Amino acid sequence: MTELQAEQASKVLDNSVTQAKPRPNRDALIALAVFVVLALLPMLTSSKFLLDFVIRCAAYGLFATSLNLLVGYTGLTSFGHGMFFGLGAYGFGLMMQKTGVAVPVAFVATLAITFVVALVIGAICVRLKEIYFAFVTLAFQMLIHSTILSWVSLTGGDQGLRGGIPRPPFLGIDLSNHLHLYIVSCALLVIGLFLMHQIAQSPFGYTLRMIRDNATRASFIGIDVWRAKLTIFVLAALFASTGGIIMALFVSGAYPEFAYWTISGEGIFINMLGGVTTFLGPMVGTALFLILNDTVTRVTEYHGIVLGIVILFFAIGLRKGLMDFVIEWYAQRRERSGERAS
Amino acid sequence: MDLDTLTGCLASSACLVTQTTSGFIIGMLLFLVAVGLTLIFGVLKVVNFSHGAFYMFGAYFAMTAYQLTGSFALAMLCGAAGTALLGLIFERVFMSRVYGRDVLMQVLVCYAFVLIFDDVVRMIWGPEFKSMGMPAAFQVPPLFIAGGVVPPYYLLLISVALLAAIILGLGLSRTRIGKVIRAAAHNPGMVSALGINTGLIYGGVFALGGMLAGLAGALAAPVRSLTPGMGFSVLIESFIVTVIGGMGSILGALIGALLIGMIRSFGSLGFPLFTEGLMYLFMVIVLVSRPTGLFGKEVA
Amino acid sequence: MTRTRKPGISRRSTLALMGAGAVTFAAPWVARAQAKTIKVGMPTILSGRVAQLGTSSRNGVMLEVEKVNAAGGLAGRQIEMVIRDSKGQPQEAARVARELVNTDGCELLIDAEASSGAFAVHEVARDLGVLCIHTNSETSALTADPKQHIPNAFRTARQGVHDSIVGGSYAAAISKAKGLKKWATCAPDYAYGRDTTGEFTLYLKRFAPDVEIISESWPKLFQPDYTEVVTKILQAKPQALYSCLWGGDLTSYIDQANIYALFTQMEVFAVNMADYTALTVVKNLPKGIHSGNRYIKTYPATAENAAWGDAYKAKYNEYPTNWSWENATAIMLLAEASKKANSADGKKLAEALRGLKIKSPFGADGTVTMRAEDQTLIGYAIGWGTTIPQEPYVPEVKPGDWKTILELEAEWKKSKGYT
Repeated sequence: MTELQAEQASKVLDNSVTQAKPRPNRDALIALAVFVVLALLPMLTSSKFLLDFVIRCAAYGLFATSLNLLVGYTGLTSFGHGMFFGLGAYGFGLMMQKTGVAVPVAFVATLAITFVVALVIGAICVRLKEIYFAFVTLAFQMLIHSTILSWVSLTGGDQGLRGGIPRPPFLGIDLSNHLHLYIVSCALLVIGLFLMHQIAQSPFGYTLRMIRDNATRASFIGIDVWRAKLTIFVLAALFASTGGIIMALFVSGAYPEFAYWTISGEGIFINMLGGVTTFLGPMVGTALFLILNDTVTRVTEYHGIVLGIVILFFAIGLRKGLMDFVIEWYAQRRERSGERAS
Repeated sequence: MDLDTLTGCLASSACLVTQTTSGFIIGMLLFLVAVGLTLIFGVLKVVNFSHGAFYMFGAYFAMTAYQLTGSFALAMLCGAAGTALLGLIFERVFMSRVYGRDVLMQVLVCYAFVLIFDDVVRMIWGPEFKSMGMPAAFQVPPLFIAGGVVPPYYLLLISVALLAAIILGLGLSRTRIGKVIRAAAHNPGMVSALGINTGLIYGGVFALGGMLAGLAGALAAPVRSLTPGMGFSVLIESFIVTVIGGMGSILGALIGALLIGMIRSFGSLGFPLFTEGLMYLFMVIVLVSRPTGLFGKEVA
Repeated sequence: MTRTRKPGISRRSTLALMGAGAVTFAAPWVARAQAKTIKVGMPTILSGRVAQLGTSSRNGVMLEVEKVNAAGGLAGRQIEMVIRDSKGQPQEAARVARELVNTDGCELLIDAEASSGAFAVHEVARDLGVLCIHTNSETSALTADPKQHIPNAFRTARQGVHDSIVGGSYAAAISKAKGLKKWATCAPDYAYGRDTTGEFTLYLKRFAPDVEIISESWPKLFQPDYTEVVTKILQAKPQALYSCLWGGDLTSYIDQANIYALFTQMEVFAVNMADYTALTVVKNLPKGIHSGNRYIKTYPATAENAAWGDAYKAKYNEYPTNWSWENATAIMLLAEASKKANSADGKKLAEALRGLKIKSPFGADGTVTMRAEDQTLIGYAIGWGTTIPQEPYVPEVKPGDWKTILELEAEWKKSKGYT
């Protein structure tokens, strides 16, 4: 990441220094409250659309927020983060289709597979700096995508995993029930965000920020930069994979498109929409992106032009994501009112 | 896998000649697109992800010009000149605003234009695929060289691409403008302090890159179908080429393009179902062993 | 970081975006207002490389919907089509299909997706129980595989295995007459290409046992350049070539193979050639390519078919595609089914559709039938002929025999373990 990012980040840090201390208990309470609100939502509305929307938000939100751990916190611009999204979807879908194990077992096993793959790919990639890191992650993504396409006997090739993903009930939870799926997605989202927030606010999280701002300095004071980068690369992959699992459950299948570079592109776009300097920026970006996508495709088939102009508005006009903007604006307003008061 | 076919081909001179020339044909057209990408990166330090769109516009401009005038030469000229102009406008109005910014911002601006350009083409020329048709002069039987088959049109294509490579190489190393461009790539602040308008250089380089991609599109138009989004697969391949060859290196783009051409040509014999995967695999290997690409040291 | 804009600008745009979001959420309650019209949702591909699939599907549907509405609609209810772009992404196809039913209040779905998108929409139909007609996916497994079978999904598209049986027997006859023993194949490397080629060679060898496949090429779908594939085939020196490339890929292939004079060196069988999308686009179409019919207004050679093709051309200023007739047939079937059931209810329509035989310009004998057992279309016009570079493009079509097709199809299903 460039100085620009660091500068933005330090600004944000300045006015949040007081609350920067990790407070797991308070965070856990907030997470619980959010989960309760989300879980009660179906009682207020019968709109399946809204529930679908939240499920998709969970899938994309986990993916985008985990990407931000790399991009925003560590300065690792990954162009291939989508491969773990696809890996999660395929791993889980295949496990359920071929072995018929219980859902939680498949979930854990998928994360284990993701862990191993991310460890291998990460060990190769994080040595490289800046744009070359971006290139090599993109190359791995394309390699995985073309492997999925070629390995027809296992993956079904371009047709994806057909015939639906079986989901035997476990612990009284039946994921083929829309409501159950919704609650589980919300739970995964809230838990995922909570864990990622803990990572970001931990001493390790601050190590990552230091690596982003000045890797040389970090290694001078005895930080193993390679190891730290690899750790966060693998952790981020696990959360992206969880997002992929939710998506596979939502569409009841897995498709090569899940591992295509466009998913990575959308992740980057989401991060930019929401902003990379706040923890919740990518979540806001996810909601914005999905609303934008859904409304624009309703209105016109020339959505490329509309989306393109929106991107330009953010990239050239605002020059930052929405949350960055809101926070800066808020800080300025406080400053101004402070001046007036004195 | 079909290694028998591959070894069988390597043992036969006719097959060797034909597949090597196919590799050349694929590679040289790829080179025209890739060299623009690498040039823009070398001087502007920007990865132009919208480069495929210039290839697409080149093809559409050429087709329209050919339909209106019936002249092949004019069609090529229109394809090249139209995209050069487009590149200049694109650079001056939009890309120049994101120099020095985060690479993500640059990628996003390019991505925005990939979306916009594809829709613009769909609006103007319609969603259906089109074909320009081979000019009558080239509708002749293929030549036989050392037992291999080579169509005359592809000889023209290779010559144009080689000519472009030579002119670019000599232009950058021997002429004054070339020296200024190379200087701007190394130290834009110094160049600008010497009273040279760097904006003009940047715009010019972008126009040149766009023109080369447009020319490639125009040359491809008689043999490839035209459709919105046609630039995408070409972009991906030329991107692989520049990464393998080293971002910013013209020689690297040439060698990278030929390597990819050969991988495609011989890979389709030996690994017909994993030809594309081979390219990515090669790219990963190169990136891991030499992150800056095969010829990455040398800039522009 | 310098700030050049006043915050107000973006606040307003943010509000606008939020407003747009609010509209999206408010839509369910608005849409639920039950009207006399019946909404039919249609996810399809309207952007990207195969946007033509979506536009010509839409045209085919709209042409028929107008007629049905003028005649009183589906059991007295006017049809309102809600057509959305899926961008060719399966997850978007699933999302759009769910949204069409859950939010827009569509009671029926016409799934005009290709390939994997159709399977994604199929899962939505399984989940929501809504009546769904697949109109574009030709992958046989979609209806042939009992694991895929659900009572509320039908298919009005032609089917890969039908094509291959007719193509195989036609090609075998020519093989025997001309002594074509050495064959090469060239097909796009995805499910449709692999399945269709496999089935074609199966039936070719069955009808002409001494045929031998000496070379196979699998270019990628939407590959721009086929040079290495063309030269590979030339190296192998086959007497005949089979290809199921389609659309822009086929025209690219023809243009590139032409300059290698490939067409003078072997007989070419390209199943997807005789479609106007390819026929009218290729500038130097070589004479005598053998092809299966896709949509051609001169086959079946009936006044109804010619009139339909002309009406379409008059309305949209282009010829119909294979997708156009497949989608038009979905509406025709729905209209007849609603008459039979005297209802526009999805369950009753599905009941009426099973085994329904209707008059159709696209029928081999003037009718097409929705086969009850696997809910897929049979009896449509299917045949092979050779192309010429100008109208009528395929002067003579040798019709396929549906009796043979059905016999061999049953056998094929058994061999696949489907029955």
